[in-house]
Amino acid sequence: MKSAAAGSAASFWRRISAQNRDVLKSVGALAAICILAVLLSPTAANGSYIFLQLGNLTDILRQVSLVGIISLAMNFVILTGGIDLSVGSILALSTTVVALVLTKWQPGLSYSIEITLAVLAALAVSTASGALSGAVIAVFDVQPFVVTLAGMIGIRGLAKWLSSNANVDVGFGQDVASTFAAIFRGKAVTIGCYVALAIVFAVLLSRTIFGRYVRAVGDNERAALYAGLPIRQVKLWVYSLSGLLAGFAGVLYAAENHQGNPNAGVGYELDAIAAVVIGGTQLSGGKGTILGTIVGTLMIGVLTNMLRLNNVDSNVEMMVKGGIILLAVAVQKQGKHVR
Amino acid sequence: MSQTILQLSEINKRFDGVLALQGASFSVFAGEVHGLMGENGAGKSTLAKIIAGTIAADGGRFFVDGSPVTINDPHDAQRLGISIIYQELDLFPHLTVAENLAIGNRQFKERKFVRLADLDRFAEPFLEQVGLTCGPRCAVRSLSMGGRQLVAIARSLSMRARIILMDEPTSALFDDSVERLFNLVGALKQQGVAIVYVSHKMDEVFRVCDRVTVMRDGETIGTRAIQEVSSAELIRMMIGKEWQARDCKPAISNDETVLSFSDLTTAKLRDVSFDLRKGEVLGIAGLLGSGRSEIGAALMGLDRWKKGQIILRGEPASIKSVKKAMEAGIRWLPEDRKLDGLMMQMSILENGTISDLRPLSWFGFVSRQRERRAAMALFGSLSLKFASTSLPVGTLSGGNQQKVLLSRCLLGNPDIVFLDDPTRGIDVGAKEDIYRIIEQLASQGKGILLVSSELPELLRCCDRILVMREGTVAAELDAGHTTQEEILTLATHAPAQVGGPA
Amino acid sequence: MKMRLMRIMGLVLLTTIAISCNRPSPNKRQFFVAFSQANNAEPYRAAQNELMTKLFAQAGDVKLVIADAQQDNSKQVAQVETFIRQRPDLLIVAPNERAALTAVMGEAMEQKIPVICLERDILQPNYTTLVHSDNIVIGRMAGEFIRDYLINKYKEPKGAVVEMQGLLGVEAAINRHKGAADVLAKYPDIKIVADPVADWIQARAKDRMTEVLRGHPSVDVVYAHNDPMAVGAYLAAKELGREQEMIFVGVDGLGGPAGGIKKVEDNILAATFVYPLCVDKTVEVALQMLRDPNFHPEKEYTVAPQLVTPLNAAELYKQTRLTQ
Repeated sequence: MKSAAAGSAASFWRRISAQNRDVLKSVGALAAICILAVLLSPTAANGSYIFLQLGNLTDILRQVSLVGIISLAMNFVILTGGIDLSVGSILALSTTVVALVLTKWQPGLSYSIEITLAVLAALAVSTASGALSGAVIAVFDVQPFVVTLAGMIGIRGLAKWLSSNANVDVGFGQDVASTFAAIFRGKAVTIGCYVALAIVFAVLLSRTIFGRYVRAVGDNERAALYAGLPIRQVKLWVYSLSGLLAGFAGVLYAAENHQGNPNAGVGYELDAIAAVVIGGTQLSGGKGTILGTIVGTLMIGVLTNMLRLNNVDSNVEMMVKGGIILLAVAVQKQGKHVR
Repeated sequence: MSQTILQLSEINKRFDGVLALQGASFSVFAGEVHGLMGENGAGKSTLAKIIAGTIAADGGRFFVDGSPVTINDPHDAQRLGISIIYQELDLFPHLTVAENLAIGNRQFKERKFVRLADLDRFAEPFLEQVGLTCGPRCAVRSLSMGGRQLVAIARSLSMRARIILMDEPTSALFDDSVERLFNLVGALKQQGVAIVYVSHKMDEVFRVCDRVTVMRDGETIGTRAIQEVSSAELIRMMIGKEWQARDCKPAISNDETVLSFSDLTTAKLRDVSFDLRKGEVLGIAGLLGSGRSEIGAALMGLDRWKKGQIILRGEPASIKSVKKAMEAGIRWLPEDRKLDGLMMQMSILENGTISDLRPLSWFGFVSRQRERRAAMALFGSLSLKFASTSLPVGTLSGGNQQKVLLSRCLLGNPDIVFLDDPTRGIDVGAKEDIYRIIEQLASQGKGILLVSSELPELLRCCDRILVMREGTVAAELDAGHTTQEEILTLATHAPAQVGGPA
Repeated sequence: MKMRLMRIMGLVLLTTIAISCNRPSPNKRQFFVAFSQANNAEPYRAAQNELMTKLFAQAGDVKLVIADAQQDNSKQVAQVETFIRQRPDLLIVAPNERAALTAVMGEAMEQKIPVICLERDILQPNYTTLVHSDNIVIGRMAGEFIRDYLINKYKEPKGAVVEMQGLLGVEAAINRHKGAADVLAKYPDIKIVADPVADWIQARAKDRMTEVLRGHPSVDVVYAHNDPMAVGAYLAAKELGREQEMIFVGVDGLGGPAGGIKKVEDNILAATFVYPLCVDKTVEVALQMLRDPNFHPEKEYTVAPQLVTPLNAAELYKQTRLTQ
């Protein structure tokens, strides 16, 4: 096979891996939606575009952070060819656990220790939930859809049982729970967590052995087995990470909303999957990047914000969202010939 | 007088910026078997697919029976009486023979409710023509590769094909099915069907073809009548320079035994025993399903051992997983590189290094520099041709893909290598490269187990040959003192019949 | 072919967005009022929306935009945030849950946007004014009604009561429960044998009631925190043939053929309490706030409830039809 001629932009486009090409396409789409949002943006009293106000842009970031965090790990799960439907329920469990520990447990320790322990408890429970799903999937070879569906139902039941189906209110006072909320609810904290986790996971996927294994398992599990890769471990880790990040999002949710809520997070798993898919990761596994997932998340966020600034009915909003998902996937399929 | 039934003129095709075909032209007479030869990447499969309508050409003209036609999709091709039989046989294994013939077939009158009797009636004459005895209602998955190929040919005939393209038809067949195929080809010739026979195998092309066209680098180099050309000249046309076949017999084999199977029994193997010595190439012959690949599966810890032992460097080994086997210094090349070997969406570099990332990493982070260095060294020693290692491995030709998998094996510096049909479906040049590599590995003192369907290859490369039949070792032969007939006989008949009436 | 389909899809999407945009025009001198509603799916809230739209339209100088949070806290917070960005002249919020909305309403106040908190309370007084009806009073009236009914039935205060609860984090549910519980606590023989949660939704109440009925051979009263749940419980009992065994008491008392008043008239519900929409008062206060910059509203406005029984149901129903 002849190698492509070097030097021209066209050959550059051909030479970068197909994966990076898809990511560039997604970034282009995001830019297009941003431009559309600016064009449709209402103007403030001083003539500036409301959409472009720093406050609005950071609003968008904050609004997508929770689902965005979940999407990071969902990307890994989907890359292995699996799926995790239980993340919404794990989020609910996490909010409930952290709120319950903070409000019901009075050990008399310093606030920082109590808050740390409460957060760790929530993260531990969440990771364990994920690990349980992962174990069943890895060891007993049950389909991820089925296992995490069961998790989705069962874990939410657990959350409701723990709180007797009530919300656990976190107040605005000076007690430990309120302090926790005050610390973690800020825009900066939420966005900061998302950015930090995004960087960690991007590095994890592209630079580590684990990241390679994840893609290999999703690409061709049989071949991965025959190449001596630790498939079971990879799967177990991937679902545990999913649980961990859902737990993280749950802790932030509890702080933002000042409550532990066993009914929280319904539908978050679908939002996360949508972000991952729009970002270019294929459901069959093996192909996808973290940058793509982030772009997918932002695309949904910008789109929703654009529609809301224009007071579009929220049902129309959902129809448009559905349309965008279809369009995004169709664009990705374009230009791929059958091998 | 032979008339031209199909003519192609100045066909061009570009894939992703790479020029796959450039001004390809050739013509086929009615009732002839026209061979199409060339190395992988020469463009013969692409050209065949364009004729069959699977891919659309970027430029050029087609003529059928002298009139210009357009072929943009498989429907056009079917209407013109062109049919293709792929190397991988695009049949539906879960359906019956008759259903496979009828699906998507313009000749079959589709009705709302399918009547089995209609299917049978439609299929039977063609099944008879190809000599398939199992009947229209048997499930395709129950047939052997040879049987399935007959179904594919029957399907082409049922489409009233006057031009049949066969892409590497014998690559998955063992010798007796091959004979059947050749007979069928001869019969079709008599009926005036033109056959384009795409193949690497020189002896087959000389056996069945009337004329042959050679391709190289996307161009058609020339067409010759088979009586007027020699294999050396064809090879020269294919690779563009003089080329000598070399013996791949390894130098010396040591007396030190590196691997022994001792009465090993798994679900598919029965009391398998043999020794492998250091620096030796041990061939494994046998029909598909006779236990050849299963030896590899047992060796790599994929099949559970029910009885018996594997002795590694003098000590009984306990191999429970592929990872354990690799740690013990055993590596393997699975049979089907696409299904079992490659991660098609990952890059060439990643595919080469995936089994040995730990030594190339620092606390779990892959060192790109170290990875690149190690992989490039190995790729170079295997003469792997590529544009850039970050391209997906699916862009490589079959031979180069096989080399990537070989790199993966060798990166771990194994002592024992199990190669399962490493030269299947790859071109002459790459095959020679692989034989050379096997020779090198043996001379480095590695023990090689070589499974192959091609008897000449086994005779050429191996010191000894194990013949497998029905899950057990039928015989152990010295490669220098045996023949293809002997191996074939041992593989297909029980010992008592050897030497009896054939 | 595919390219063309995609372009068509893209165009359809753009057109949908374009025609759905609903921005207040800066030129005309209209007040921009933003209303964040917790859940349009509840009939009570749908009635609120309808009345508010009608009244503001009558006013003539107000552009009203309603956002539906579909019972999702995060969605409502985000919608309020986006409203804040648009700097409305007045923000009305019907909070989905107390804790979740408190902070963002505080943000609106900080941004100097006047806020009316509608019908449901929040954890801190982050609003200019709160317009609500006293659910404790309703709960108390309900408790007294139940007590009187049971005394009438058994000649003494005893009986089995099923309490069908709304969304637990909401002030209405908390107080409708508390008001009734305070009354009934004085009578140890009146027992709350089950208190399932049905989130205000009729279908869920039907399911919960079915479970309760299977577990309890005899029930005297079903007290639901809103009419749809009471009706759901009624349907569950009817399916099992036990609807004559007990009475059903709801809250909301909406007009119209689907509302609670009609259900009392038709003898499905034994009683309901007109829980005022609070919209009349809200719009009245809102218009004053918009038109008169010197007007300072009270911190809290309470609108009184009304008991509906078969005695006055027909009359009340006719009245609501007239004002429709």
